[in-house]
Formats: sequence, structure tokens, C-alpha cells
Amino acid sequence: MYATKQPSLRIKQADLKCKNGCGYFGNADWEGYCSKCYRNHMDKERQRKSNQSQHGDHSKATSFSKFEEKKRQQSDKKTKYFLPVFRKPSSLKETGRPEKYIDIRQMNPDADKLLAEFISAYGEWGEAVRKDFLKCVHSFTSKIIHELDFKSADELADIAQNYYNSYNNRLNNNTVYQNVTPDVRDKLLDFFERYSMVGLYTFLFCPPSTNDEDKDLSIQDRIRKLSWVNAHHLDCCISETSIEVRDLVYTAINDLLGMDSMKAPQEKLACVVRCCRSVVEVLQHCQGGPVSADEFLPALIFIVLKANPARLKSNMLYVTRFCYGARLMQGEAGYYFTNLCCAVSFIENLTAESLNMAQQEFEAYMSGEVTCVSAWESALVACEGMHQLCEHLSLLKGLSERMSAVKDDTQKLKDDMRKLKEEINDEVTSVLERTPLVIKPRKTIFPLTMEFLKSLPPLPEKPPIPDKGKEVEINQDVDTAPKFYQQNITLTQMGLSDNKPKLQLDITPCVNLPSASVVKPSLSTDFLSVPSPAADKSIESITPDDNSYLGLSKINYDIDFSDISAENSIIEDLGESRRSPTMSFTPDPFSPMGTGCPIMQSPLVPSAAEMPRVEVPPVRKNDFVLPFLEEIEKEDTKKETLLDKVEETPTICLPPPIKPTEYTGFSKQGSRIPSIPCNTGDVSSLNLQQSAGSSKDTN
Amino acid sequence: MARDYDHLFKLLIIGDSGVGKSSLLLRFSDNTFTGSYITTIGVDFKIKTVNINGQKVKLQIWDTAGQERFRTITSTYYRGTHGVIVVYDVTNGESFANVKRWLHEIEQNCDLVNKVLVGNKNDTPERKVVLTEDAQRFADTMNIQLFETSAKDNINVEEMFMAITRLVLRSKLDMQERQNDRTQNDTVNLRKTNKQGRKKCC
Repeated sequence: MYATKQPSLRIKQADLKCKNGCGYFGNADWEGYCSKCYRNHMDKERQRKSNQSQHGDHSKATSFSKFEEKKRQQSDKKTKYFLPVFRKPSSLKETGRPEKYIDIRQMNPDADKLLAEFISAYGEWGEAVRKDFLKCVHSFTSKIIHELDFKSADELADIAQNYYNSYNNRLNNNTVYQNVTPDVRDKLLDFFERYSMVGLYTFLFCPPSTNDEDKDLSIQDRIRKLSWVNAHHLDCCISETSIEVRDLVYTAINDLLGMDSMKAPQEKLACVVRCCRSVVEVLQHCQGGPVSADEFLPALIFIVLKANPARLKSNMLYVTRFCYGARLMQGEAGYYFTNLCCAVSFIENLTAESLNMAQQEFEAYMSGEVTCVSAWESALVACEGMHQLCEHLSLLKGLSERMSAVKDDTQKLKDDMRKLKEEINDEVTSVLERTPLVIKPRKTIFPLTMEFLKSLPPLPEKPPIPDKGKEVEINQDVDTAPKFYQQNITLTQMGLSDNKPKLQLDITPCVNLPSASVVKPSLSTDFLSVPSPAADKSIESITPDDNSYLGLSKINYDIDFSDISAENSIIEDLGESRRSPTMSFTPDPFSPMGTGCPIMQSPLVPSAAEMPRVEVPPVRKNDFVLPFLEEIEKEDTKKETLLDKVEETPTICLPPPIKPTEYTGFSKQGSRIPSIPCNTGDVSSLNLQQSAGSSKDTN
Repeated sequence: MARDYDHLFKLLIIGDSGVGKSSLLLRFSDNTFTGSYITTIGVDFKIKTVNINGQKVKLQIWDTAGQERFRTITSTYYRGTHGVIVVYDVTNGESFANVKRWLHEIEQNCDLVNKVLVGNKNDTPERKVVLTEDAQRFADTMNIQLFETSAKDNINVEEMFMAITRLVLRSKLDMQERQNDRTQNDTVNLRKTNKQGRKKCC
């Protein structure tokens, strides 16, 4: 049946004439009749219905869905035209009316929701406003429902517009609304429309008296046939490949599709406005400037073509009929709705010329002989997956770029780390190269320590006396010469733990230093083997002195004083070094083996120490120091001279370590302090002289 | 009506594509002379309130697509239009030749509507093709006011919009007056309803 009614794309003059053949032009809204024939036809129709209702034996057919109901009504109409004999008792309009009325008030959850909204929004304006509003709504809806079966959609639309206008007047003139602000009056008018239309939606949207549905199907079919039209055909600058643009186009399409789900005309309009705003955004995105109608309309046509909204024509007609007229004529909504109407009419009348292409080409596209695959088509119709793939690929590209960047960074970091490592290594090696120079002297000194150790043998001969345990050791040493060294080392090591043995040990080497130096030239074996008798002598002679020396541990105090008071630590060191017994005591604890000796023997020390010596005891001390050095460097040559000088030096040398002033101070305190070292030094030196003499003798 | 305006008019800008309809609209709405610029929704739709003789007039200016292929469908735009601005490009003779067609379009869609003729892009004399005298002669024969404007240099744009607004306002006031006269005369005039209906196009 649709085939007969489907409007062909090319309309001939004859098709536009009245169906009755009266010669006047017909109208699709009047079912193809001219106005006069249509009125007659409707009158007949009504009469027939009333006859039918008198028979009144038809089922209510409530179980039918609305769609089926509508279909049947339409088919009824047609059968009535063409086969008036076969009248079916189909009309449920008369009986259905009370049901419908109940529907509005009870069965419509949306209306209930809206009522709640109304009370919350406008309840503050008082009970009178609410009552009047509902009264008007009810009178409007009941009027529409009453007229529903007898009036065409356009007549109903006129009724609706009249009610809107009258309510608008009522809002502005009635005393009930005198306290209501103008803004709220406008809103109330909107709400009036919305509330009543939500209630009447099922009856007024695509009413059975019209062929809206056919129009929907035809436009849908038309758009489907035009699916090959792309933005390029429309001279529209939508860049189909851009993701952002595509997203915006999707939102625009969704908004347009959403129009069908809305019930009130103004809600549908809001959808159109949203859609058009998205379109404007798309265009702004594409061309980056202000959007003019020259670009907007093609873009909107493109969107409509791609969206192919359901029941497009029905929706548009519904809005046109039942939206408050003033709103459709003006404002943003009006403008965009007008544009939508233009777009749809363009699509309806689309020809090869309007797409700037050859007639043949256009027909080839329309018949599907030629298919046009655009980026949009591939994205929208054919393969959404492909589109996603593209997006993912671009995403992956970005990710891989970032990955490589990270890799570069890590490589850089690695290089930096390696460089740092190398630098540190270089630094360390350079430092190591520098530092060995410091260490090497120690190494060179080490032999000296060995020599020093070798020089030790004579020493034990003197110290053992204070402690008898060590005497035993020494005796053993004497017996076994090579072992002696080792044991001596152990002794010195033990000396670290205990102070007292340290003292003894320390004293001994220091005292013996001269002797050691003396000894060195001579063969150690010879010396070791021979000196024992002489050593005995020396021990005997020293013991009392040593005891007294040990007893006078106050010497330590002397050192302490010097440490505190001394401005020149070097001088003190020198003094200590010169003053053999005390001096040797301090260095030892740090390193019994090496350090004690280097400090004493280091070539640097004497040079620095020369100054004080010059001040106090002029010539002799220089003499003393120099020979000391000579002892280290040239041990062999000057034996006798050293010995001679050693004899003299101790007495004279001892005072300098303690500063002259302090020294005087000490002298004030007591004569013992200065005198004692002098004595000891004398004694030792004397002893040494003796021992040296004896050694010489032996040699 | 306690609204922020006394009159609300809908103006339409028509003309070939590329003559600068949108630029005129943009220039007019972005300037801030007497009126207050309300909103921008693209360029194709603008609302602006201007003050004429102490009356606040709210203007809604609709831009239209000027392409040849949209000419037949743009009739929908004319519904409820109070004034039409026909634009041509002074540097483009063809656009001026098409003015006749546009005027015909208006006649087809509206009975009573105020019109102005606007020659835009009047800022580079060396490129000017449509002479002012020719345009003026044509405008006189069609009984339309002519303006030569430049949206780029902002020449004559405000004056043009104010002129069309004044025309529309005057015709509205005249109509109201006539209506009042008729109601006072208490004569049954069948045409009265017709006149009101004619305000709407189509």
C-alpha cells in the first residue's frame, strides 16, 4: 500500500491534482484532495463513523500496539475510499476516547514527573497559580482529545496555537498571575506547552489522520540512497579524517538522533539546537574562523545525511504544528530549526545539479552502480574497526615515539653514568698517582725501620732490668739472635696495649738510637754476637739511672705542657726527637714499627727545627742536628764524630724542647726537672759512650 | 511587556555566497555602539539590541546560505521576517546581477517586508566594478535604499543596520496605528485579518 502512496521523486503535474478529479490542485496533507473535496470527504467519514458506533459491536482491541492500530486505521481509510462497500467495524475512536483521557491523567509517568517538577519550581507562586495552570492544561488536553478524531493535524495545531496564545494572554492579564514575574510567565508558558504536549504526545505525534509516517519512510529511503554523498560533494569543509572532527560529528549526529526520544516540541528543538551547535563547532574546528551560513547549511545537510534520523519528518511536523509559534519564528532554536527544514528540503529535492555533478554520474550513484568509498564511509558504514585501527595505530605511533625517547634518555643516562664512572676512576687514579708519592717515602723508610729493628738488639740490654720478665726474654734473645727481632716486634706490639711496657720499650730504642746508628755500620751478626758483655756493663750502669728515669714519669708532664703551650709543634717534636727518651715515647703508640722512626729521621724536620736551635744554643745544636741527619743518610762514615757530639748534645739539647720561658718557670718550681733530664741524658750518653767505646774496642 | 526590549525584529541577510554577508553581521554585532551585544552562536545567528528614538529594539539577524543550489530551499528562512538585507559585492558584477533574482525571491516569499540594498567590500576603489551610479539607479527603480559599505574597514555598516531597523520599526508602528484607527472606526474590515496574516510569509 505504501508503494501506491510513496511520493515519486519526479512529480508530474497530474499527480498534484485533486484525487476527485475536480481540476483543482490537491494537497498531500489533505490526502490528495483539494480543500473542498477533502472537507466533503471528512464529513462523509464522520457520518460513517457515527453509523458504525450505532452498531457498536466492535472489540476494543486494546491489545494492539499503537503502531498496528495506526496502520489499520490508515488502511481502513483507504479501503473506505476505494471500497466503501466493505466497511469494517474498525473504529475504536468513540469507545477509545474515555480510555485515552484516563491515560493522560493516570498512565503517563512523564506527566506525573512533570507535575512534581512544576510544583517544586512554581509552587512558590501560590495555590491559585497552580490550580489555574492545571485547569488550563486540562481544558486544553480534553479539547484536543475531544477533537482528535474529527480534526486534521493542522486543525489540531491551530487549536493548540490558540490555546498557547490564550494562555499567554491569561498569564499577562489574569489577576491570578499578577504577582508572577515576566521571566516566570515565559517559563510558565513553556511549561504549559511541555506539560500538555507530554501528555498528548501519543495522540499528536504522527497522528493517524496524516501520512507523516509515509513521509518518514520516504525520506529515510531517500537518505539511504544518498549515503554515497560525502562532504566533498557538498563543498563542505569537514575534514573527515580528523579524529576530533569525527568525534564532534558523532556528537552532532547523536543529538539529532536524540530528537526522536523527546516528547515535548521544545525538547526536540533543544536537541536540534545542540546538534547545530556541534556542527558550528565542527566548522570552527575545520576552518578555524567564524562560521557563516554558507558553510553551516552544507555541513548540516551532511550531518542529516549521515545521521538519517528515525521519523525525521514526523518529528519536524510535530514541532512545526505543536510548538508555540513565536518560538519557531525567532531565536536560536527557530534559526536552527529553519536550517534543519532547509536541509531536509534540500535532501528531498536533491538533484545532480545541486551536487555539481553530471546527471549520468548522479544516476549511477543513485542506482548503486558506482560506489563511492570515502574516509567517512569506511569509518561510519564499512569498517568501524578500520577506523579504530587507524586510531590505535596513531596511538601506537605516539607510544613508540615516546618509547624511543625514553630509550634515548636511558642511553644518555647510561653514557652519563659511564662517563661519571670514568671520571671518578680517573680522579681516583690521579689521586692514587699523587698519593703514592706520599706513601713511597714511607716505603723507603721501611727499610730503615728494619734497620731500626736491627738496631734494637742493643736496646733490650738496657731496659730488661726494670722488669724481670723481660730480662728473661732478653736473655733468650741473647741466646738466639735471629729470634730476638721477632720477639722484640711482638714486644713492641704488646706495648701498644699496655702503657708501661711501652714506656720501657720506647725509651730503650730512643736511647739507643745513636748506638743503633753506630752499630749499623758494623755487621749485625758480629755486633750481636759480640756486644753482650759490653751490654751487661751498660745495663749495670744504666739500671739505676733508668729506674730513676722511670720513677720520674713527670717527664710526661713536661711533654704535655709543651704540647699545650707550644706555638710551634714542630719545635717540640724536634725537641722531643732530640731529647731521645721522651720523644720516642709519643710517636710510638701510633705505629711502633714505622712512624716512630720516620718522624725522628724525616729529613724535613731538622730544617724546620733549625730556627729555634739558632735562637737558643747556637752552634752546637746545629752540629747536633746535622750529624743526626748524617747518621740517617750516611751512617757509615761518621762514627766517631757522632759519638763525640752525642756526648755533648744531650745536656745542652734537652732544654730547648721546653720553651725557655717555661723552662725558667720550671726552674722556679724546682731544680729537679731541668736537672733530671740532664742527668739522664748525661748518663745515657755516658753509657753510650762507654758502650760505643766498648763496641769500638770490640771492633 | 516588562521585557528588556520594546520590539523584536527578525532581519535576514541574503545575497550570493562570498559577498560578505557574514562579515557584515560580524562587524555589526562585534561593535559596541548604542546596543549591547548579547551572544554569539556562530556567526550565522546574532542577537543585538539597539536603541532607536528611545525604544529598545532587539534585532535577530539570520544569515543565509548564498549558494545557487540553496536558493530554492531558503524560502523557509523568510517566515516571520521583518526586514531583508540584500547584499552584493561591488567588486563582483555577477553578484550585482543576481540582486534582481534575490529581490524576486523576496517577493515570492513575503508580501510586506522592508528591504535595503547593500554593496559590500567598498574599500578598494581600484577593484570596484559596480559603479555607484548604476547601483543607485537600480535601487531607485526598485524603490530600495542603497548603502555601500565595507565590513573590513567598518564603513557605513552601522548606518545600514540602523536604517533597516528604522524602516522596520516605522512600518510596524504604522501598522499598529492603522489597526487602532480601524478599531476606532468600528468598521468591519475583512482585509484586516488578511493583513495580519500576511505578516507571516508563505
